[in-house]
Amino acid sequence: MANEIKISIKNLYKIFGPTPDVALEYVKRGMNKADLLDQQNHVLGLRDINVDILDGKITVIMGLSGSGKSTLIRHLNRLIEPTAGEVRLDGEDVLDLDEEQLRQLRREQMSMVFQKFALLPHKTVLENAGMALNIRGSTVADFEGEAVKWLARVGLEGNENQYPHQLSGGMQQRVGIARALVSNSPVMLMDEAFSALDPLIRSDMQDLLLELQGELQKTIVFITHDLDEALKLSDHLVILKDGEVVQQGDPQDILLNPNDPYIVAFINDINRARVLRVRSIMNPDVESDTDYAGDISEKDNLETVLSRSGGDTDLIFRVIRNGEAIGSLSMKDLTRALVPTDASTTNSASKE
Amino acid sequence: MATYDSLFSALGLKEWCAEGKEDGPMSMADLLAKAKGDNAEPESLWDFPFPSMDSLNDSCAAFPQSRELTKGLEQGFLAVKDNLSLVLDPLTQPLSWALDGALYGMLTTPWWIIIPIMLVIVFLVTKSWKLVLFVGASICLLAFIDYYEYAMQTLAIIFVCAFLCVLLGVPIGIAMSRSNTMQRLTIPVLDMLQTLPPFVYLIPLIFLFSVTESKLYGIAIILYAIVPVVRLTNLGIRLVDKDVIEAADAFGMTPSQKLFKVQIPLALPNIMAGVNQTIMMSLAMVVIASLVSAPGLGVLVLRGIRNLELGVGLVSGLGIVILAVILDRVTKASLARINASQNQ
Repeated sequence: MANEIKISIKNLYKIFGPTPDVALEYVKRGMNKADLLDQQNHVLGLRDINVDILDGKITVIMGLSGSGKSTLIRHLNRLIEPTAGEVRLDGEDVLDLDEEQLRQLRREQMSMVFQKFALLPHKTVLENAGMALNIRGSTVADFEGEAVKWLARVGLEGNENQYPHQLSGGMQQRVGIARALVSNSPVMLMDEAFSALDPLIRSDMQDLLLELQGELQKTIVFITHDLDEALKLSDHLVILKDGEVVQQGDPQDILLNPNDPYIVAFINDINRARVLRVRSIMNPDVESDTDYAGDISEKDNLETVLSRSGGDTDLIFRVIRNGEAIGSLSMKDLTRALVPTDASTTNSASKE
Repeated sequence: MATYDSLFSALGLKEWCAEGKEDGPMSMADLLAKAKGDNAEPESLWDFPFPSMDSLNDSCAAFPQSRELTKGLEQGFLAVKDNLSLVLDPLTQPLSWALDGALYGMLTTPWWIIIPIMLVIVFLVTKSWKLVLFVGASICLLAFIDYYEYAMQTLAIIFVCAFLCVLLGVPIGIAMSRSNTMQRLTIPVLDMLQTLPPFVYLIPLIFLFSVTESKLYGIAIILYAIVPVVRLTNLGIRLVDKDVIEAADAFGMTPSQKLFKVQIPLALPNIMAGVNQTIMMSLAMVVIASLVSAPGLGVLVLRGIRNLELGVGLVSGLGIVILAVILDRVTKASLARINASQNQ
């Protein structure tokens, strides 16, 4: 389980148009998206994507609309065929699969959750949840136990015999998640799964997903246009812009060291105290003679620490992981970390 | 001397024209012209004739007249007719059996069995007591004025033909929805079937089959009524939510699973609307088909026209309206039930 690479995307290109192979040559020579559309009348979907998706982690792909994030996730199970490149699942190239093997992969390896839920309107909640097993040939009696279990797990006990249109949006998406869980596939693809929900319900669903992930440790690829959501969920964050990866890595890292004005513009609006965690800004030295004001967990966010300190900037806290002291955090460092990113870009600019 | 003489001489076709013999029967127009004695060239530009087949024939006897076009078509059809009916006869024979069987069954079974069976069917598909009552009252009214037998004949023909329309039309519609080429090829045929006056395609059918065979009107009704169910099946499947189709793909459905578990169920409201239209169009055609020996209320309408029996014509027309209302309400009610069960 120790963070092996589950899915590896290498040099992936996607160009939409009548003769993508010709256009690909231009793109490889460096033509940009606008010129390609102007001169070749082709749309650049994705350019040279290289992403490794780790086993048992949540990888979030974030970008605005038109950045190619939905296109990218559809390459993983080949709902869209790439123009060039590789997608390897457990080392095997998905693009080499024939139709039957691909169907097996979609049935057993990858499940998907959709922005617009995409439930079957003429089937009950129970039948929708068991759809993946039904496709593999199980009858309602076969999959009922499994489906009822997961429906209960996502909070839909007693709704089994209702139809999707009788449920609210949030509940429909719970059915969508249950459907993906019932298929028992190691990889879950979530395409803007929570974007159609209102903010409060979205937050609930994010908590539900994190809770499930704590238990199940699936490999989740999550698409979103919402940075708060991305930072909340991701173990690994990939930021896409105009079909290219702008920056990827640990979300805390990206937040502290954005390498592109595009990302800076993005992260300006977020609440840094809530998103940044102690572990990413702490000082790894533990001195026994310092007078610590208290113990904090490495997973705490800065907001929690701020409220513990009561606003006193002279305090120093000891950072604890699994009952062991691993570092310290002074309130001065904390305050520095809260300085908006504009400053940090000027810093990095002056370094260059 | 006619207008286009100079044209033919300029082309050097004078001799070829001279070979044309004037032994064909004279047309009425020729006869009139001869009687009037004006065979001269038109005096002014105002009377200049369009270079049609007939006016070219005036100048050059070897040039065919337009009546030879229709005559040629007729002869061509008569030439292939025997071979064509050799193939079509056995293919369409089951239609005759189905129609004769349905007519026999409906008419020999006593009314006190048929009417309750129909009411039970109405209840099963609509689950509405109000409609059952309405249908029962309507049929009893028709029976009371001694139109029961005619109405049942009409209904039997409609049931058989509409059933066959659905049986053939839904697969054609599905094929159209799956291939754009198929759609491009089928749509002109559907357009033609829908716009060709129904009387026109009765004519070749009369040549192909004997008027005593029931498949003659069966084919006419099916050709006329199949169009909406084909069109709406195609449309319904093409309108199925793309997201749901994508989900079906993402979970690894085979094309046939996708068709039977997603596309057809979701297209069902549209398909049922097509069935409703098909039934209504069969009813319209069954009246016209009485010209070629289809039994039922149409025969009475025809009698009303032929013998100027105003009362018979009006009452049988009213009977057809009642049947139309019954069929429409029952199919619409079952359509509404399907819609309600998958309110999206």
